[in-house]
Amino acid sequence: MSSRGGKQKKGNVTSEQEEEEQPLQAVLVADSFNRRFFPISKDQPRALLPLGNVAMIDYTLEFLTSTGVQETFVFCCWMSNKIKDHLLKSKWCRPTSPNVVHIITSDLYRSLGDVLRDVDAKNLVRNDFILVYGDVVSNIDVSQALQEHRHRRKVDKNISVMTMVFKESSPGHKSRCEEDDVIVAMDSKSKRVLHYQKTQGLKKLQFPMNIFQHGSDEFEVRHDLLDCHISICSPQVAELFTDNFDYQTRSDFVRGILVNEEILGNQIHLYVTQDGYGARVSNLQMYDSVSSDMVRRWVYPLTPEANFTDQQGQGCTHSRHNVYRGAEVSLGQGSQMEENVLIGRDTSIGANCRISNSVIGNNCTIGDNVVLDRAYMWNNVHISSNVEIHQSVVCDGAVVKEAVRLNKQCVLAYNVVIGPNLSLPEGTVVSMHHPEEEEEDDDDEFLSDDQEVGHSKDKTRQKAFNPAEVGPEGKGYIWKASMDDTEDEELAQCLWGLVLNPDPESDSESEASEESQDHSRSVSPEIDDVNAFQLEVLGTLQRGLEENIVCDNLVLEINSLKYAYNITLKEVMQILTRVVLEYPFQQQGTQLTTLQYTGSLLPLLKTWSPVFKNYIKRPQDHLDCLSAVEELFLEQDTHQTAMVKVLMKMYQLEILEEEAILKWFSTGATNDKSRQLRKNQGLQKFIKWLEEAEDESSEEGE
Amino acid sequence: MPGADKEADLTERIEAFLADLKRGGCGTGPIRGSGETARETTALLRKVTAQARWSSAGDLMEIIRKEGRRMTAAQPSETTVGNMVLRVLKIIREEYARSRGSSEETDQQESLHKLLTSGGLSEENFRQHFVHLKANVIEAINELLTELDGTTDNIAMQALEHIHSNEVIMTVGRSRTVEAFLKDAARKRKFHVIVAECAPFCQGHEMATNLSKTGIETTVIADAAIFAVMSRVNKVIIGTQTVLANGGLRAVNGTHTVALAARHHSTPLIVCAPMFKLSPQFPNEEDTFHKFVSPHEVLPFTEGEILSKVNVHCPVVNM
Repeated sequence: MSSRGGKQKKGNVTSEQEEEEQPLQAVLVADSFNRRFFPISKDQPRALLPLGNVAMIDYTLEFLTSTGVQETFVFCCWMSNKIKDHLLKSKWCRPTSPNVVHIITSDLYRSLGDVLRDVDAKNLVRNDFILVYGDVVSNIDVSQALQEHRHRRKVDKNISVMTMVFKESSPGHKSRCEEDDVIVAMDSKSKRVLHYQKTQGLKKLQFPMNIFQHGSDEFEVRHDLLDCHISICSPQVAELFTDNFDYQTRSDFVRGILVNEEILGNQIHLYVTQDGYGARVSNLQMYDSVSSDMVRRWVYPLTPEANFTDQQGQGCTHSRHNVYRGAEVSLGQGSQMEENVLIGRDTSIGANCRISNSVIGNNCTIGDNVVLDRAYMWNNVHISSNVEIHQSVVCDGAVVKEAVRLNKQCVLAYNVVIGPNLSLPEGTVVSMHHPEEEEEDDDDEFLSDDQEVGHSKDKTRQKAFNPAEVGPEGKGYIWKASMDDTEDEELAQCLWGLVLNPDPESDSESEASEESQDHSRSVSPEIDDVNAFQLEVLGTLQRGLEENIVCDNLVLEINSLKYAYNITLKEVMQILTRVVLEYPFQQQGTQLTTLQYTGSLLPLLKTWSPVFKNYIKRPQDHLDCLSAVEELFLEQDTHQTAMVKVLMKMYQLEILEEEAILKWFSTGATNDKSRQLRKNQGLQKFIKWLEEAEDESSEEGE
Repeated sequence: MPGADKEADLTERIEAFLADLKRGGCGTGPIRGSGETARETTALLRKVTAQARWSSAGDLMEIIRKEGRRMTAAQPSETTVGNMVLRVLKIIREEYARSRGSSEETDQQESLHKLLTSGGLSEENFRQHFVHLKANVIEAINELLTELDGTTDNIAMQALEHIHSNEVIMTVGRSRTVEAFLKDAARKRKFHVIVAECAPFCQGHEMATNLSKTGIETTVIADAAIFAVMSRVNKVIIGTQTVLANGGLRAVNGTHTVALAARHHSTPLIVCAPMFKLSPQFPNEEDTFHKFVSPHEVLPFTEGEILSKVNVHCPVVNM
């Protein structure tokens, strides 16, 4: 008994139980800084929207608490009072809660970056912390990831800055948000992130080669990752956000770290889990998926009948086929709850209804002959008879009158009334707020758009309710979102998530190649650049001939072109060789005989030999030049005999050395055509002569 | 104030226990040691008795009933919690009666005759205050705890009477009681055990390895083969999660199959269950006794698109 008196409460911030374990902290961002849930989120902040009749922020807090987090900072911006009220009434603010929740509000937050900068300014985190959004639903056990993260930091002296938690799931899985689709290149052994890119519907992606040169030999490029938006961050993350004012989102941060790796030396790792479920409700499509996953018990133990929020009257019973019924639910005669249905308490359902794959809130009234399929209804909804609802969301207090049909992806916001005998087309959004209201409120505490959300609303100019749209007794305005083509949008944004228009030309994130001094092949630059460069070189040489420009100046010009088009030295030389060798064809057409060709080419070689000599210095350059020559003559079959003369001339002009030629001859035969080339009589004679010449020169002694 | 502190401490412990119950040990397999749950419940109730404010047995019983209701609501499938609460209530009643005076002990026996002649409930509203009631109750609860600790051994001691040499015994999944039972018998007898693996959690595997470590000949079979093998089995010994008031069992998924097969072959079936698994509930509503967990074990989440078209259930316990 006495020992218990001395035992500290776990919720104490300045805990006396030091050891090595400081209380685990978490930063919960209860605001998404975008408008994906407009106009629903005009009345209620996103974190409080109900998922399975439980506010989303409760799921996140439960996830954090079961991981062992002992201190959570909740940052709110939009409608912070509501969030504060909700949390103060919830079980997490009870004195016995193992997780102490601090609520921090400010109207100035505009992005995740701002929140983290505030965290740094207020010096809130002392140690590694977990960073999540307020709409994350998960039951992943991150203790393993935490351990790995801590171990890495201890071993590597704080190089690893963040560990992202991903879940393995195949591409195209319905719980994968298409906007958040990422491709990650990682080092398999150390789980380090080497490249991180949002796919955004692109069909082709480019990876810079330097990421694969880090000394490890096992890489994975993964597309099967579902981003759970759970990150384990070190305290440096907050500092890094303060240092870089333009980091707004986590992707910015990741990209920044990866780009600045040489300077700062920071690394990001990831943790991929196969068990456990984690997802973020970032748009209505995800809301649909996560809701149905929850009803199907994928997020066990956060299941509806567990009532983990400990609210009175929230419990329900679980029956076969995932049918959950709250207290005092009454079901009319002949009605069937087929499968995957969750019904809140005090709801009454009429006769002959068929309900499947739906979530119905508390205090709802549903009439007779209603068909509900993938419908999500919140509290106090009144639905009359003969209604059909498919894959739609109906918010609090809405009234749906007789014989209405809601087709897929409709949204009825708070307190909307939809009149009798109406069929709403797919994708309709009806709200009591007039779409124009938004302009007046702009200087209020409105959120700024996330950079990816680019839609502008087509204002429907009406102040009265339009009976054609909402029915004779209806109340509400229709919100239309139109695509804005002037911005660089390949993706159409709508409330329900992306509708991708695949754009084969789009190349929003091409990475230029780096200079690689080793033997690996570098990524070829844009084809346009090479062609342009070639033309320019040709032009330069032409002018050189006409105006008798000194070779040094030619070299200068070519060098400057090289920088302008970002071409590597090796390619410069190859293109130069090619251009020179093709020059006679350029000038005089392609119908030359070999004789004429050599006749015009050889003097050119002599004129431009200083240019060549400038670029061909090392043995490797010789080989490259030779391979360019070979390539050209492989294309120009008819002139292969000229090749000997070319080589001879180049040798005489001391552009190429005999060792290089011999080496090229003996080793370079990669395919049949080049083998045949080497069998050319003239060439063989030349080689033989070279060998003899070399013997002589080596006999003379060097 | 130490008093307030203790109370808050107590509530905190209760909350922690409830939260733990709700999470139900999802990582460690479907059935989280009911023995531990029973022990924790009893310890918690003892703490409540010690620290809560009550002046008579009636108050105490009210408090315990309230906590008990909360605990059973947290995880309805864990019946041991409710069982232990009932036992503690019984202890309180007994102690109360003893304190009233042993001469009145006989009065407690409610024979049918007494019920008819006494005309209504006796004045047993437990309002009397006794000084030593607290100490007695706590002592009795301690006894209960010791009894809990020894249940497995007590059961195992009877093993020799039931198992004979050269017998083939079948069991399902993993039960600590049955494991101890068989190990005890193996000290003196030689027999063969067949274990049904009990998908999808496959706890039978663990059971088999444990048994074979002590030198018992063990075979693991798939659930589908239970009926086929049953003809060669002499006895079936199983553990359970709960024993219901009508003699029914609430046990690991797959036990029903074994029971049906045994019945068909007229094989004797023995159930090893410690006393905290005896429950006064009746199986009145079919559905609410089943427990399903995340379908992940059956069809992993990564299987992708097929999930939206398929309903996956992962039952843990059924009747």
